[in-house]
Amino acid sequence: MIPHSPILAIVLPLLGGFLSPVIGILERKHGWRRATGIFALIVMGVVCVVVGSMVTDVWAGQFIIYELGGWSPPWGINLAVDALGAQMALMIAGLGILVVLYSLSYMRDETGLGQFYALLLIVIAGMMGTVLTGDMFNFYVFLEIMSVGSYALVAFRRTPEGIEGGIKYLFIGSIGTTSILISIAMLYGLVGSLNIADIGAKLTLYSGNVPPALTLAFALFVTGVMVKVAMVPFHTWLPDALTGAPTVVSALLAGPAAVVGIYWVARLPYLPFGMPVGVILVSLGLLSMVVGVLMALVQRDFKRMLAYHVISQKGYMVLGIGLGTFGSVLGAQGGLFHLLNHSTYKCLLFMCAGAVLLQANSQKFDELGGLGKKMPVTAAMFLVGSLAISGIPPMNGFVSKYCIYLSGLELGQGWITAIAVVVSALTLASFLKAFSSVFLGQLPGRLEGVREAPRPMLISMAIMAAVCVAIGLLPAIGFNIVGPAQAAAENSVGYITHVFGENYLAAGGMMP
Amino acid sequence: MELNYAVAMMLVALGLYCVIAKRNLIKMIMGLSVLTDGIHLFLISLGYRAGGTAPIVAGEMISDLQGFASRAVDPIPQALVLTSIVINVCILALALSLAVHIYRNYGTLKPSEIRRLRE
Repeated sequence: MIPHSPILAIVLPLLGGFLSPVIGILERKHGWRRATGIFALIVMGVVCVVVGSMVTDVWAGQFIIYELGGWSPPWGINLAVDALGAQMALMIAGLGILVVLYSLSYMRDETGLGQFYALLLIVIAGMMGTVLTGDMFNFYVFLEIMSVGSYALVAFRRTPEGIEGGIKYLFIGSIGTTSILISIAMLYGLVGSLNIADIGAKLTLYSGNVPPALTLAFALFVTGVMVKVAMVPFHTWLPDALTGAPTVVSALLAGPAAVVGIYWVARLPYLPFGMPVGVILVSLGLLSMVVGVLMALVQRDFKRMLAYHVISQKGYMVLGIGLGTFGSVLGAQGGLFHLLNHSTYKCLLFMCAGAVLLQANSQKFDELGGLGKKMPVTAAMFLVGSLAISGIPPMNGFVSKYCIYLSGLELGQGWITAIAVVVSALTLASFLKAFSSVFLGQLPGRLEGVREAPRPMLISMAIMAAVCVAIGLLPAIGFNIVGPAQAAAENSVGYITHVFGENYLAAGGMMP
Repeated sequence: MELNYAVAMMLVALGLYCVIAKRNLIKMIMGLSVLTDGIHLFLISLGYRAGGTAPIVAGEMISDLQGFASRAVDPIPQALVLTSIVINVCILALALSLAVHIYRNYGTLKPSEIRRLRE
């Protein structure tokens, strides 16, 4: 491991974010083309190396604890990286670098690139922090860094649609983070600690006799996380924000930002609360799957349709993790695996939509058509992504969905499997409709001069598509990542022991 | 002490009501501000101790840390509230600037009339 790598993974994009506007000014003064974008790409490259070195150590069985400023927990803030956090950090770094690569061409004609990359890197720093930290309040701060950055990014181009999406996202997202803050305040009042492992250890004392205030804190926390994940009663911000935002930002919110939410969905049945939440997760997951896909079927806007599919697919993940809390290991693995797959193919699909929007200047199905001849590579990539999201073998979506189907049967709940299969079929129908109305059929005369997307966009799309096919053909790659992650999420005793040593839990959260 | 918690929760409820029920973006933003201020009051009250001393160790207190700990107020909520206030200022500034842009583009601040995305 590179020394200090947990904190470097957070601080590097943060510093890079604050340097980007300076480089943006230099870019304008000296006429260096794409200097800011290339700078952001280099920063993300270094972050990838740092995270990679950290993740290999975690997979080798290490549990990394980094004490900020040398203050030992529970007094100081610590970063704690187990296999679950490692999976998430790896995905954020990998998807982040591809999003930056894609925006090199997508944002080429925009002004204010310095500010754009500054926000992008700060959002990535916030995401990294939320999945690596071992402290509740620190988690809240990083969550807000990520959220405020993404509100601004959604409204970045100051189009009416972008601002509308941005302010909706701001209001609903703020209610969500506020309820997380109340929950943390109540936890601090009850337990007197902010360290996740410490809270987990001290809450075991309440076993069987939970005070009502703790239940309220838990409910508020779940609500906040569900707003961030955009499960169905709290989902309304997501389609608006993703439709109005620049497509790069839509890809960022659909891919890496989903990681943060699902990380907490996977964590919260075990730490810091350790209260049963399976029924809520399963029912919200099922509801989101069905409502998301039904809403997607009637959309006539390319990006809005993809946004509703984000809700539907996140439903699968939450369902899988919910089934996992009833003892189905396959379900929890399937949920985390689906997160891995969804982030790749949904980023890919948004990137295809962005390529079409950039070249044909429209995202309405009614105005598009016949682009398959003009943009063959984009069409092929979109086909790969569509098959993956619909769960058609040999794409990666099939493997993770199959795990969730099996998990439903394993628990003797065949109806859950049936719903999941039907939603998959509806997803396929929706994507066939999208594919035929964008890439097949009559080419409108207006689109005669359309050309293929520029190369950096195609490269990042090709990498995503390659990952989709590779994981589909060799699912062992994915299981090697999500297997340890699932085991680490469930192992709350191990987490506490790693942070505080053997005797801490037995002593009921008192220093021996 | 109970009064503090009651007022804090009342502020939270009022703020939430403003955000949900008011039909003007500026009023909704004010509601958001009241909501977070309620939480700040709640947090500060958690660490308060009537007649306590400031949590700064100096001079002869070092010899009597146990007694110091039983007299001092809890410093952590104060640090949390400072952080949270800064975050809240960011959100308010962003929300207000977005509201300015909404007014320029749509000519209204009514959320029900800002619905270009729904069409």
